[in-house]
Amino acid sequence: MLSKVTSFSLAGLEGIPVEVETDINNGLPAYDLVGLPDAAVKESRERVRSALKNSGRKFPVQKITVNLAPADLKKEGSYFDLAIAVGILKATEQLPGADIAEIVFLGELALSGALRPVAGILPLLISAKAKGYKTFIVPAANAKEASYIAGITTYAAENLQQVIAHLTNETRMSALTVCEYTGTEGEPCRYDMAFVKGQPVAKRALEIAVGGGHNLLLVGPPGTGKTMLARCIPTIMPDMTFEEALEVTKIHSVAGVLGGEGIVRVRPFRSPHHTATTVSMCGGGNRIVKPGEISLAHGGVLFLDEMPEYHRSTLEALRQPLEDGVITVTRSGGAYTFPANFMLCASMNPCPCGNYGSSDKICTCTPAAIHKYRSRVSGPLLDRIDIQVEVDSVKYEDLVSEGREESSADVKKRVERVRAIQRQRFAGIEGVHTNADMGEREMRMFCALSRECENILKMSFERLKLSARARSRLIKVARTIADLAGEERIRPEHLLEAVSYRNYDSMNG
Amino acid sequence: MNTEEERAEIWLDSFKIEYGKKMRLYELASSPRILAERFSCYYEKAAAIVGEKTARKMADALRDSDDLAKLAETYKRKGITLVPYSSSLYPEDLRQIPEPPLVLYCKGDINLLRGRKFAIVGSRRTAQPIMKITERFAEELSKHFIIVSGMAEGGDTAAIQGALPSGRVISVLAYGFNYVYPECNRRLLERVAEKGLLISEYPPDTEPRAYLFPERNRIIAGICDGVLVVSGGEKSGTRITADLAVQYGRDVFAFPYSVGTASGAGCNAIIKEYAKLTDNLVDITDAFGINLTETDEISLTPAERAVYEALREGEAHLMEISERTGLKVHELPAILTLLEMKNMVVSCGGNKYAAIR
Repeated sequence: MLSKVTSFSLAGLEGIPVEVETDINNGLPAYDLVGLPDAAVKESRERVRSALKNSGRKFPVQKITVNLAPADLKKEGSYFDLAIAVGILKATEQLPGADIAEIVFLGELALSGALRPVAGILPLLISAKAKGYKTFIVPAANAKEASYIAGITTYAAENLQQVIAHLTNETRMSALTVCEYTGTEGEPCRYDMAFVKGQPVAKRALEIAVGGGHNLLLVGPPGTGKTMLARCIPTIMPDMTFEEALEVTKIHSVAGVLGGEGIVRVRPFRSPHHTATTVSMCGGGNRIVKPGEISLAHGGVLFLDEMPEYHRSTLEALRQPLEDGVITVTRSGGAYTFPANFMLCASMNPCPCGNYGSSDKICTCTPAAIHKYRSRVSGPLLDRIDIQVEVDSVKYEDLVSEGREESSADVKKRVERVRAIQRQRFAGIEGVHTNADMGEREMRMFCALSRECENILKMSFERLKLSARARSRLIKVARTIADLAGEERIRPEHLLEAVSYRNYDSMNG
Repeated sequence: MNTEEERAEIWLDSFKIEYGKKMRLYELASSPRILAERFSCYYEKAAAIVGEKTARKMADALRDSDDLAKLAETYKRKGITLVPYSSSLYPEDLRQIPEPPLVLYCKGDINLLRGRKFAIVGSRRTAQPIMKITERFAEELSKHFIIVSGMAEGGDTAAIQGALPSGRVISVLAYGFNYVYPECNRRLLERVAEKGLLISEYPPDTEPRAYLFPERNRIIAGICDGVLVVSGGEKSGTRITADLAVQYGRDVFAFPYSVGTASGAGCNAIIKEYAKLTDNLVDITDAFGINLTETDEISLTPAERAVYEALREGEAHLMEISERTGLKVHELPAILTLLEMKNMVVSCGGNKYAAIR
């Protein structure tokens, strides 16, 4: 007898429906699995056999043919275990009266018959919903994640027996109730601006950078709190909307790094080690194309500690996603597009020994060594970093001082205000959400410069030897500073402050 | 167009013979021209000094007068002008020093060899504020002098950069024109060749070697009327230049440094011995009888004035400036940037600033 069960496979962030057809014939006992299965899928036979036996059902001693359609799509992972098991039960008439035509089955089986969680449930459900599928059975461990999607009926099962009981109407499971997205309220923060002592310049720069969506470079001696400052960035970023959270969760779900929470509420903070390869940064993989660090940082912060230590090619690969906000990973098997709209925060020492510009330690580097160290970060990449600030070396007295520092919550309020200004400004303009996203056209509309400002710009180029490429970046930062000050027009002091954040350019001279 | 005498000097210089031997050859006859004309008579003695092989080469070069003409042609094509000792272009001041170079290889505006010159030298480790001050001094002094320096990073670079816009700048190299050193100053080297003048004592294919730099320093010291030492450790190349300059009877000036500053220990040492402590341009211009017309007063807003005055108390971090002036920290970058553009202050790294006027 023949049975048909629906399951889903994942390609990038996209779910693709897979028809699991099972046919049982008389003949020598055999099990044939066709439809381009990979090793994990092929091995499902043993899992399904044991799971059926341990759930009190029979694995037929007949010729079994399982076909995963469409036949030309490579099937990867362990999503189909449950579907295959149900298919065999149906084909051998062990599921009397069950109607499985409308149900999508997802999940990996343990030998005991228990259901194990699979990666990527959220994007699968979202795609399936968009394709018109309404009812799903997923592993209980994926329930949290699944419960954020409204408009579908999802059942979360602990094991195969529960699924069988449900299908045969012995004991119906109750559908998952839709979870309300609550934002970060009540989330305890491990990091807070209040814990960072001093650093007025860096803190101000952080606020401007987050306010306008600019990228940031922190330059400072080792051990001055660059990492700690960077960790604070997510705490002052505006809360994610549900749509943003879903988007981020999709990526984390596919990568299999989603926590037990089911949804990513806090903006991600990724800090890959400097030995990271280009593939681990941008995404890829030989079998399953997985999102890389830049996609995992989508909606949050990608922190590159000690930027000059990264492989040159890895850094250069960031240039295009920094412009486009997406990365397209192209492999022989197809091209997969992952979102990668992140804020880049990089840190570096001012020189190889780290003490250049330090008040109490002597820098032992030759100018040539400093030049060489700095030139490891290419100009085009540096150009995409609008704000470059120096982080002070901290004195002991500052560390133990009791002075009150502003908390992240206070800064966040201001950030949310400037973001609101920008939302209003860019309403109706496709692809532009923050000042940093502005193109030439928008800049002409929103960044008119007075004659005085033009003069300052001209002067700063001559005097401080800024590169011509820096011009539009400067104006965008000035726009954000003006927004923070609540000013309609960019005033000279805003522009000058923006110029002061191009410190590194002039240092390179 | 070269005289017989000059041609003979160029001939004598075109074999890589070290300076001492070259001079002994030079002294064999009453002049290089005589030496060249009657080289066969001097051959034995010359061979004793430079060896048989080189002597034969020298003789060969003389026999085939085309060779020398060809050599001159190649130099010309590369934009290199040869100024031999007896040329009218050869700087008189340099001619007076004990060991003058026999031929100067020049690239750029040859007319800069004439005119009053002032050398500004500094070590490779020169603090950022001093760099800026040096630049300003060079810029101002280039109105009255042709500025002479080396090509190293640090003080030399700052001096050249200050004088370059006026084009009145000479950089004396310690290697041939086929080389670039240091690599990071490649662009600067090209620009000096375009707008100013490069001088070297060495034929183009001479590699940079450590021992050539002190030799070179005698040219810097010898070609100028005065030297300003902007930075330098106890035992540095700038110290050699300053010592030579004082031997040649040039005026030596030096920036003072505070106690314990390694990069300025050499400056303080020469101030103790012979150099004139210099903390403004008038100290230098007075010594040459130049009446410095004070540059126009720079107008400052009250806030700028306050920040500037606060910085005159010494290098300060943004926080300290904020304490001294009562201005908010985030207001300061804008003011400081403006002051920086007006060339009044300079950023020293680590969010610290210093006044440079």
